[in-house]
Amino acid sequence: MDAGKSGALRKGLLEFVVLAVVSSGRAYAADILQRLGDTEFATSEGTLYPLLSRMRRERLLDYEWQESASGPPRKYYRLTPNGRRQLAAFRTYWKSLTRLIDELGTPPCKP
Amino acid sequence: MQTVIHVALSGHATAFQLDEDGYVSLRRYFERARAGLARDPDREEILRDLEQSIGEKLAVLPHAGGRVIAGHEVDSVLGQVGTVDPGSDNGQARRPPPMRPWRFCRIEQDKWIGGVCTGLAARSGVRVDWVRTIFILATVFTGGMMALVYLALVFALPVFRTRDDYEDMCRLSP
Repeated sequence: MDAGKSGALRKGLLEFVVLAVVSSGRAYAADILQRLGDTEFATSEGTLYPLLSRMRRERLLDYEWQESASGPPRKYYRLTPNGRRQLAAFRTYWKSLTRLIDELGTPPCKP
Repeated sequence: MQTVIHVALSGHATAFQLDEDGYVSLRRYFERARAGLARDPDREEILRDLEQSIGEKLAVLPHAGGRVIAGHEVDSVLGQVGTVDPGSDNGQARRPPPMRPWRFCRIEQDKWIGGVCTGLAARSGVRVDWVRTIFILATVFTGGMMALVYLALVFALPVFRTRDDYEDMCRLSP
């Protein structure tokens, strides 16, 4: 697939991918980056931090500070109820999209 | 002779010692990040997060404590952290605020003097002949005071070339 096109697609999906990663429990930015590291969605702090802060403004997620044994305190992110709803809605939408794309590829049944 | 610059990064208690190249790279990175995030309401917080992450990566370099970190090491850490991508805001808050709806304006098209009446007519939907009649009558009754008001409006109101331009602007504004 054309790298530019798939890049734009991944960029648009990143927000939902982050929601999915954070949904499995509290996550620190480095955890999120590591989890995405060997997937299609590998990204870096420069992209993740502005995204996390926008998602927090949109009340999709929230963070709390927690002391760390090695170094400065860290922000641990978790989903808000709103973020959970958004993720569920996205999953439903995504399934309907893939189903639609599959159906569009197959010729309609002849009566 | 070697220049060593001590740099304090957000969240890190001890300063990092960078050589001059490393310091310049780091400063450039933050200048660019600051500019990229110019319209982000959480810019300062994001910059602090980045500082903290960069510090964490510098701290785990081999023998990081108490030695001078070289420019190429700083560059490699900055490469891992990646250029700041301001992202999009689903097309909302991040865009420059749309122009305010123009309530009153002057319109040059078909104007007699300064286009104040044509502007008022476009704004109110009243025929321009009526607006002008009212203005002229008001000028007569107020002993010319209305003419001063007119003059003030010429200076105060934004001007559009045609009525269509004005209506386009109204449509574009929320």
